Amino acid sequence: MKKIHILGIIVIAVAIGVIFTSLQSSASYSDFAEAKANPDTEYHVVGKLNKTAPVLYDPKINADECSFMMYDNKGIEKKVVLHKSVPQDFEKSEQIVLIGKMQGEEFHADEILMKCPSKYNDGKPQV
Amino acid sequence: MDNSTTYIGEHLWIGYIGNAFIYLSLLSALLSAVGYYFNSKEVLTSEWKNFARINFSIHSFSIIGIAGTLFFMLFNHFYEYSYVWQHSNNSMPMEYILSCFWEGQEGSFLLWAFWNMVLGNILRKTIDEKWEAPTMAVFALVQVFLASMLLGIFIGDYKLGTNPFILLRENPEFANLPFIQIPDYLSKLDGRGLNPLLMNYWMTIHPPTLFLGFSSTLVPFAFAIAGLWKKDFTTWQKPALVWTFFSIMILGTGILMGGAWAYEALSFGGFWAWDPVENSSLVPWLVMVGAGHVMIINKNRGGSLFMTHLMAISSFLLVLYSTFLTRSGILGNSSVHAFTDLGMQAQLVIYVLTFVLICVVLLIHDKLIRVSYLMASFLMLFWGIMHGHKITLLLIWLGASLVITIYSYVKFFPKEEEEEKLYSREFWMFVGSLVFLLSAMVITYFTSIPVLNKLFNLEKAPIKIADYNRWMIPFTIISLLLIAITQYFKYKKTNPKQFLKHISLSGLAAIIFGLSAVIPLYFIKDYSTSSNAVKWDLISYALLFISALFAVFSNLDYWMRMLKGNIRHAGASIAHIGFALILLGALISTSKKQTISQNTSQKNVSSLGENFNAKKSLVLTIGDTLPMGNYLVTYTGKERKGIDVYFNMEYYAKNKDGKLTKAFSLSPMVQDNPRMGQASNPDTKHFIGSDIYTHITYADLSDTKTLKADAYKEPTNFIGHMRDTIFADNAIILIDSITTNLTEEQYSKNDSLLIVTAVLKATDINGKIYRATPQYIVKNNMVLPNEFEINELGLKFIFWKINPNEGSIEIQMSEKVSNAKEFVVLEAYMFPFINVLWLGCLVMVIGTIVAIIERRRINRLKTH
Repeated sequence: MKKIHILGIIVIAVAIGVIFTSLQSSASYSDFAEAKANPDTEYHVVGKLNKTAPVLYDPKINADECSFMMYDNKGIEKKVVLHKSVPQDFEKSEQIVLIGKMQGEEFHADEILMKCPSKYNDGKPQV
Repeated sequence: MDNSTTYIGEHLWIGYIGNAFIYLSLLSALLSAVGYYFNSKEVLTSEWKNFARINFSIHSFSIIGIAGTLFFMLFNHFYEYSYVWQHSNNSMPMEYILSCFWEGQEGSFLLWAFWNMVLGNILRKTIDEKWEAPTMAVFALVQVFLASMLLGIFIGDYKLGTNPFILLRENPEFANLPFIQIPDYLSKLDGRGLNPLLMNYWMTIHPPTLFLGFSSTLVPFAFAIAGLWKKDFTTWQKPALVWTFFSIMILGTGILMGGAWAYEALSFGGFWAWDPVENSSLVPWLVMVGAGHVMIINKNRGGSLFMTHLMAISSFLLVLYSTFLTRSGILGNSSVHAFTDLGMQAQLVIYVLTFVLICVVLLIHDKLIRVSYLMASFLMLFWGIMHGHKITLLLIWLGASLVITIYSYVKFFPKEEEEEKLYSREFWMFVGSLVFLLSAMVITYFTSIPVLNKLFNLEKAPIKIADYNRWMIPFTIISLLLIAITQYFKYKKTNPKQFLKHISLSGLAAIIFGLSAVIPLYFIKDYSTSSNAVKWDLISYALLFISALFAVFSNLDYWMRMLKGNIRHAGASIAHIGFALILLGALISTSKKQTISQNTSQKNVSSLGENFNAKKSLVLTIGDTLPMGNYLVTYTGKERKGIDVYFNMEYYAKNKDGKLTKAFSLSPMVQDNPRMGQASNPDTKHFIGSDIYTHITYADLSDTKTLKADAYKEPTNFIGHMRDTIFADNAIILIDSITTNLTEEQYSKNDSLLIVTAVLKATDINGKIYRATPQYIVKNNMVLPNEFEINELGLKFIFWKINPNEGSIEIQMSEKVSNAKEFVVLEAYMFPFINVLWLGCLVMVIGTIVAIIERRRINRLKTH
């Protein structure tokens, strides 16, 4: 067996390893129900902020925590505790993705991605 | 739209000129490609060559024409053109006109086409006659695709490309707006302007550098394609090597500039976030570095033919793929700075797949297979357009192409008879290139998760930054070790004893210095208290640290002892030192990044996961001084300049005598961006040994100066029982007791004066207690207005209602405006030794330039 073949085998092994472990370990987009069923697993929950409920953030009590109500893509509403300061322009968000785990009835997130409507304030020609 | 309206002041002629240049550039690129194709087939050689050359010149002229037209429009504020209106305005300083040129998709495609054109002309002038036709045919074909991206014409329902010269009133986005009805709309119109977030010098230098980097990958690609096409697998490599080095240097600079921009001006909290857009420029660079190294092997001992072609070709294909990723809108949620979808997904896919097709076709040596593969591909494309099942067809096609590639390689491609020796430079360089290729593949795979979701209907979330780091560290360690040892091997055969003798000095130094650094850095404090996963991280950091040091020492040693300090031959050593320093700087500054704005009030939530215990935000009230790292920080106030609100922070440190003196001030900024919302912009104090980085995460941007500080705010009503508390901005108020001058019996008998007094105890921040006794006074069934003020606290109370059934009272409280002290929430980090990273960038670029100069010198010597 040539050395080049050994290298080839190593390359293929690494490739399979990467694919396999990433399929195993990486989180999936999901909803509150699934997150609740598996409280130890981290999920990315996609949904919308309930803009009628207040976003609670009192930096004097805890600057690294805010909470709000969110509907997931199945329409289920849950309280979310985000362990970060409140994101800028939060109330303008069109869609949010939270990364975290369910704890009882609350979803605890450590990371948030927001999608703002791409043209929400892009402006139009006005005369 | 009313077609009969005649608009006043429009410059329609310049749009016609611009479009004429676009069509001309497309046509001439096509003709040039055809000309070079026939020229390379050696049919009517000189005629075709001249034809192709003339057309490429016309193409170059028209690309300059398109760019010139667009510049002219931007300079003169011709807002009748959508692109000009979208990206510039009247108040814009001249230096940003360049930035608006490439802010939009159309402009950045144009920039790319422009660099390709420049490089194409340089290549044509410098290249050996034999290679001109096949390489320039590839260049011209690429230009055909890029020019088509600027067309913006409809073929049936499908829009091909997006045109930079469409009129504002013809832009479907703005259809039916009132301005269309006004004939002299132009006299009143100002442009939307450049996104303020992009108004900085980075936007002027980063895109052109990065796009020149993207363009530069085309040269080695064109050479490799030419090699496959002409079945001459070796002679193209010598001229291509200089271009490969050039590409490594420029693309690398562009990527690092992006990192520096992110670090200086964006609030990622770092210089690299494994964002898909960052990854998709890193991956072609990694592959290009691999390509450069296998080409060096080929030059010095021959062989590695398949790998040189594979890597030189892949780098460009990966640039195309990254163009697809970032411009098709497929990344959606997973990237912060991808372009928005302009409906060019199909066109971009076709662009990428065409070049994959060309590569596979050229690999096939059997005519029958080649024809059937081409036929099948077109059939599948046709079927996909007409009947759907596009994704299934695409997967089948990709699978078939892969099988054919492997088959052709095994069957037709020349292979080396002799195997590389274990103790040879070429073997370890080859392994190194393979490591780069493999890491590029892993990053591509992770970045492509949104694509895989679409292809296979999955719901996988993108990979997190920490996981990227965990995956990449082993690759980095291996490549650093290879960088350290490989130069000490000779080509073909090395004496193992000699090798060990040479390498041992730097190896020993790396272990001694490395251990004495990593033990205090990672093991004394952190290790024993960490979870298992973090322990592995710490071990991997330590290994990375030592291997980076090893790479620096051994390359320095090689340069000094083996090359005797000669700079001419030291390009590789210097570039390797730079590369290792970059990784060393990245490692230390990231792994030892210290959050100095620790929030002490937060409850411990680390049970939720390792990311949750991050206490990072600090509330700083105006005038307050709080400890932060080695400093005491005061927030002294904010200042608005246009849409930018600066928050002034003063950092104090103890000097030698133990006295507190001002060390420096930082003004992180929040931009009240009318188009992007609030954008936080950090401010960083650079020291030689570390950086102090501060950014605002939450603040009130409104101007408090407009309100009188002495005035009272609107009162708030509180419904309370005995012993309840009311929170004011500067005090906590307890309802201590309620007294009355009459008993209930007396009151019911007698309708004279009733006075109920609420005794309130207000405790201020310093614990001082004030008494307030607002009274509820009823005379003849009328409530008399009565107010109680605590002057010292700036609080007013009106006791105005009793709810006997609930047993509660109602009190209105007003607070002075000045009571609500302004505050900001900020995050601050200390990045130690981040300058090692920037130094490494500089050293690596210098090393690459030295290598380019040397390579050109040798090439010239050989030709004379």
